[in-house]
Amino acid sequence: MIEVKKLIKTYGKKDNALNAVDDVSFVIPTGTSVAILGKSGSGKSTLMHIMSGLDKPTTGEVIIDGKNISKLSQKDVDKFRSEKMSFIFQSFFVQAKESCYDNVSLPLEIADVSVSRRKKMIIEALAAVDLTEKIKALAKELSGGQKQRLAVARAIVNSPKILFADEPTGNLDSVTGGLVEDLLFDYSRKNNVTLIVVTHDSDLANRCEAQVHLKDGKIESIKGLK
Amino acid sequence: MKITDIIVRAGRSLKQAKARTLLTSLAIGVGAFTIVLSLAVGAGGRDYASTIITSNTNPQELFVQPKPDPNNDPKKPQKYTEGPVVNYGNYIAKLLSQDDVDKIAKIDGVASATPIYAASIKYINIEGKDKYQASVRVFRSGVKLEYIAGNSDGIDNNGIIITDNYLEAFGFNSANDAIGKKIQIAVDSGIIMSNEIAVKTFDFNIIGVIKSSTFAASPISGMQISKDNIKAIYDYNMQGTPMFDKYEGVLALANDGKDVKVVKDAINNAGYEAQTAEDLMSFIFQFINVLQAILIGFGILAVLTSVFGIINTQYISVLERTQQIGLMKALGMRRRDVGRLFKLEAAWIGFLGGAIGAGLAIIAGTITNPFISKALNIGDVKLIVFEPVSVIAVVIGLIIISVVSGILPARKAAKLNPIEALRTE
Repeated sequence: MIEVKKLIKTYGKKDNALNAVDDVSFVIPTGTSVAILGKSGSGKSTLMHIMSGLDKPTTGEVIIDGKNISKLSQKDVDKFRSEKMSFIFQSFFVQAKESCYDNVSLPLEIADVSVSRRKKMIIEALAAVDLTEKIKALAKELSGGQKQRLAVARAIVNSPKILFADEPTGNLDSVTGGLVEDLLFDYSRKNNVTLIVVTHDSDLANRCEAQVHLKDGKIESIKGLK
Repeated sequence: MKITDIIVRAGRSLKQAKARTLLTSLAIGVGAFTIVLSLAVGAGGRDYASTIITSNTNPQELFVQPKPDPNNDPKKPQKYTEGPVVNYGNYIAKLLSQDDVDKIAKIDGVASATPIYAASIKYINIEGKDKYQASVRVFRSGVKLEYIAGNSDGIDNNGIIITDNYLEAFGFNSANDAIGKKIQIAVDSGIIMSNEIAVKTFDFNIIGVIKSSTFAASPISGMQISKDNIKAIYDYNMQGTPMFDKYEGVLALANDGKDVKVVKDAINNAGYEAQTAEDLMSFIFQFINVLQAILIGFGILAVLTSVFGIINTQYISVLERTQQIGLMKALGMRRRDVGRLFKLEAAWIGFLGGAIGAGLAIIAGTITNPFISKALNIGDVKLIVFEPVSVIAVVIGLIIISVVSGILPARKAAKLNPIEALRTE
């Protein structure tokens, strides 16, 4: 369960102060898929950064399974992220010159998973996104859709509890985009993983169980959440 | 994150920028090459010098010279003193005489004192053959000689040890052929009578043949005869000249088991200047060390230059990989580990540079060694000696220097804000 309580993030000082996130509160039950919608500049990315512990709120708090991550030390929040969270980005951020295997291995190395357990986990993750045959291929040899599937494999390899997807289909055509969406929603449903999708694509948002609309940092409307 | 994983990732990202990595490490390689080679030359030089010195000198031996009057001001004209003098840059000292030799011999701890007889011979020859120039020296039992044939037995019975470079000139087929043959040394008389110089010949038996040394200063470079024989030649050659019974130096031998340094102090207190074999050695070592230090200095300069190369390369690498660093931090990689990744990349560069430089130095040294030995005519002796310990120390040192140079870029990477880094343009 993710509890977001009265989050405010202010940029600038005094007269120039701007609330990128302005008094946002909601509760996401574990395993729910939530879309955070809004135009660019609405504060949806900032909200995601704060919810994932990459950024700290000016006031308010984010409590994940009873843990206030806004109060954790940098070291603890890094550890929390490496064990419980994962990310998928619009521009994939796969390492072009590394093999698919090494790309997927990175989160396991960061989370200190023992070497003996890694291989099985990586093979399973690549199988889940249908990239088993590309295990030794370099990431740069993949197509756009394959790259994003590789990013999904990297995101799910360490069995995260929360999956953040920042415009996951923004750089893909509708067919390959749909495939990646299927992968994400299937994974979320089967494993009871909370999926938080940041997007301005209403079709993608409508596939989520809940939607949070942001405008100028404030919640404009909220659907499916308490 | 495990350090082994970081090392592997560091190595992999360097492999992905092969040309840049290679060029940066080559800069360190130049330094490594110079340092490793100069260490090897120094080690070889010291080895060679010490083998020459230990085989040519007796550690219990002291070289005693007259001491200049310390009250003399060398900038002013010197007062006349009776008898021949030696002049060390206007420091005037009286040459030693037999009285001094006897005095030195009586000093506590001195077993014997022998003056250095400056006898010059007219020629050396074998009956029926051509006459040749030669120099003779006193045979010293404490000095090891490299015998090709024979030995020193019978040296006191008019024996002579010759050097192998005379074998052909004297018409001997082999070194063994020379043993037992008679040889004559002719000497001019010091006393000139009715404008004619008398010449006397001394007969010797060849008892040994030794390898000739390339170093003229070395005591093994000449023919060797007994002390009594050389004194007889000296007496005939110098008697009647003002230089008779005047010596520039005396060789004193300390008693076995006696500390040669204590004896040296005793001789110095008696008003002479004594040098041990070690003192003479230390001068050569000092020369080698200074030469080596200069060479190493150039190497360090090259390393220093390469430090800026590493810093620059690593800064560029951090800029290029902003997104990668952002991703790793988003996935929960700790600051410390991000910093380590870049420091270890620098370490790899240092290791690579050190290994390349040291490897090339060893190859170059091994190839040129025979040529150098041949050019200097020192036989099988190697003048470039690579000591594994110092090579490894250089490589480790360069790794450490590289890591230190990598600190600033690594800190920049560690401080990178993942949100900024992952912002999609």
